[in-house]
Amino acid sequence: MYIDVKTSHRMSDPAVERSAMSSRLPAQGVPAVSDPVRRPSRRRLLRNALAGAGALLAAGPLSGCASPASASGASSLSVWDLFQGGDGMLMDDMIEAVSQGAGGAKGFDVDRTILDWGPSYYTKLAMSAAGGRASDVAAMHLSRLAGYAPGGLVDAFDLDLLAEYGVTSEDFAPAVWSRTQYEGTVYAIPLDVHPFIVFYDKKAAEQAGLLDTSGELAPMGSPEALLEAGRALAEATGEAGILFGHVTDTAQTWRLFAGLYAQTGAGFDLPDGGPPRIDTDAAVRVVTLMTQLFDGRTNPNNLDYNGAMAAFTNGRGGMAMLGEWELPTLKKSRIDLGAAPFPQVFDKPAVYTDSHSFVLPHQDSPDPARRREAHRYVAQILKQSLTWASAGHIPAYQPVLAEPEYAALDPQSSYADAAKVAVLDPPNWFAGAGSNFQNRMCQPLQSALLGNTTPEKAVRQMVREADTLLRQPNPVA
Amino acid sequence: MTTTAPLGTEDRTQSPAVPARGRRTALGRIRTGNGLVFVLPFLLVFALFMVWPIVQGIWMSFTDSSLALRDTHFVGLDNYTEAFGDPDVWSSLGNTLFFTVVSSVPLVVVALAMALLVHSGLAGQWAWRLSFFAPYLLPVTVVTMIWTWLYQPELGMANQLLDTFGIAPVGWLSDESVAMWSVAALTVWWTVGFNFLLYLAALQSLPTTFDEAAALDGAGAWRRLWSITLPQLRRTTGLVAMLQVLASLKVFDQIYILTKGGPNGSTRPVLEYVYDVGFTGYRLGYASAVSYLFFALIVLVSLVQLRLFRRED
Repeated sequence: MYIDVKTSHRMSDPAVERSAMSSRLPAQGVPAVSDPVRRPSRRRLLRNALAGAGALLAAGPLSGCASPASASGASSLSVWDLFQGGDGMLMDDMIEAVSQGAGGAKGFDVDRTILDWGPSYYTKLAMSAAGGRASDVAAMHLSRLAGYAPGGLVDAFDLDLLAEYGVTSEDFAPAVWSRTQYEGTVYAIPLDVHPFIVFYDKKAAEQAGLLDTSGELAPMGSPEALLEAGRALAEATGEAGILFGHVTDTAQTWRLFAGLYAQTGAGFDLPDGGPPRIDTDAAVRVVTLMTQLFDGRTNPNNLDYNGAMAAFTNGRGGMAMLGEWELPTLKKSRIDLGAAPFPQVFDKPAVYTDSHSFVLPHQDSPDPARRREAHRYVAQILKQSLTWASAGHIPAYQPVLAEPEYAALDPQSSYADAAKVAVLDPPNWFAGAGSNFQNRMCQPLQSALLGNTTPEKAVRQMVREADTLLRQPNPVA
Repeated sequence: MTTTAPLGTEDRTQSPAVPARGRRTALGRIRTGNGLVFVLPFLLVFALFMVWPIVQGIWMSFTDSSLALRDTHFVGLDNYTEAFGDPDVWSSLGNTLFFTVVSSVPLVVVALAMALLVHSGLAGQWAWRLSFFAPYLLPVTVVTMIWTWLYQPELGMANQLLDTFGIAPVGWLSDESVAMWSVAALTVWWTVGFNFLLYLAALQSLPTTFDEAAALDGAGAWRRLWSITLPQLRRTTGLVAMLQVLASLKVFDQIYILTKGGPNGSTRPVLEYVYDVGFTGYRLGYASAVSYLFFALIVLVSLVQLRLFRRED
């Protein structure tokens, strides 16, 4: 965006000057004596001004097309991602490292474009891929792959090529790797796993008797234990027990629900054309637990995301249910911070997760040499995962987890196991991070937490919403 | 135009009016030619960014056009049939209309009241003018940021204020029956300044003669306001109401940032639904159909308004 603006300015400047000069000269050169003399000059002025405007108009679109090439040169690798803030700076460091030729490898000339995270990122990515002139590499939440691979919006990875650069399927946790494929072909290479976990105040948790002998959060094992933990924490802090911000948020209640629901062992299947296959009894059990937990007395039920963050960092609660990506913010607070995978309270271990992955957005006529470079780039970036882990994300590239430097990262290493029991959104074109689906699922769940509706009604509405989405014609296949 | 003779069977070449008409049209042609040159830049931009998208949009609404696919198929009225049977279209349209009513009325009445107050000669004119108009200068993101914190259930000023009076806290953005009112309150605070300015300008340009005459005849301040000032402001009120209804109908940005249409879809305006379906859900064809339904509604509302004000004149 910025580059476009700059180049178009540069290209149109001469045109502006030319028209300004040519229009100024006759006006100054010809003294305003009489009408017959002035008229042609005014006309010429007009014509010149029009020509100038025409040149401006023509220069605009032209420079728009030319900018990518002129800005970066044909050889550089274009990369799109959605990493802003702290993540964005870490990605900068990683790109810098591989560009300089980390590990003795050849360097890269990377042209990075950072786009705003959210639904609009996926709109832009889909449009660029549909146009066939997308970037060489792009970041994508693994949960969104089902909306991209079937329609040919992303191109397949060449696993042999990746293996040449030292990355194979054995390097990833099976729970995550299984989601990188569509009809047996690999379309995404995961960079990280970022689960929805619990952060806790170590002092409050210890007072509440929730820690084991090694000072980590002890297993809970039942819904009652979780409710009891909330009460104990509330007593320990004298304020709220467990904090959870969800009001007007379009993902939080879904993250909490989906993780707990997966723990019941029930399936949440969204077959094309509907109807959805959802175990409503299990869903009602989960939503009921959510409403019992956030009853508005022990644990507040009406916080929004920032409100919950503010309350936790100010020490007004013993525990917060959040994505691990909030670690850098929470670390800055004065809390003695602990973290753990989301506690198992039903029959099966499961943690709601997503994964930032790399994809090759569809190009109509990819240059084989550039494609090769794209593979090499992805492999090289994965090997920088330790840098990435410092923000809290669990590296998907397992060899990094085995390194002693990773084990030393606290509290990151204490929730690394979450990757093994990772549960992502059901694979469907409309689901995934930043999707309408998550937003629609959140609406009835929020209502239930706020006491505006019953768990039974909320679940019925969720099934209905899922059914509506499934009945829509699929716009990507 | 006034000289145009009725076109009959008369022989034009022999008609005395013809030479004059010929000259006039030639002159007219030059005039129009020159005029065209002047409006051409505007026409180009207008055609490119208004006419073409509108035509393209109508065509799109009859196809299964997708943001993520290149080939599209004509589907006839399928999108419109789907839209008529889609409860989300109706509920979001209802939300937009509800917002239009609860925001437009105060935005006209409060603006008028503020303009009358300032015009009546309060001390510190510039301070009042500035403070009434200042919020209008804020970008939507800033306004919603401020109000998000004001509406915070625990830390927000709104609930703390209620608390000092011993009133139970309100879920400003979390209660389905309250959220839209909260959005309307924010919108009134934010945009009332513009209507205020229109009213103030109108008040300042009113002739004072009637008012003075009425005062001489012994009419009190309220009487003069009711029978002299307000009737003279009728045209301005018509303009303000018309602009306001149109502005309220296209509500999107503050809601999108403030509540994303929640809680439970209770504040989702139809434009957000179009955005959700078209840009997040990739279904451009269907989104176009919904937006043309909305367009039809706007045309209808405008026609009704036009008739109302015509009759008053």
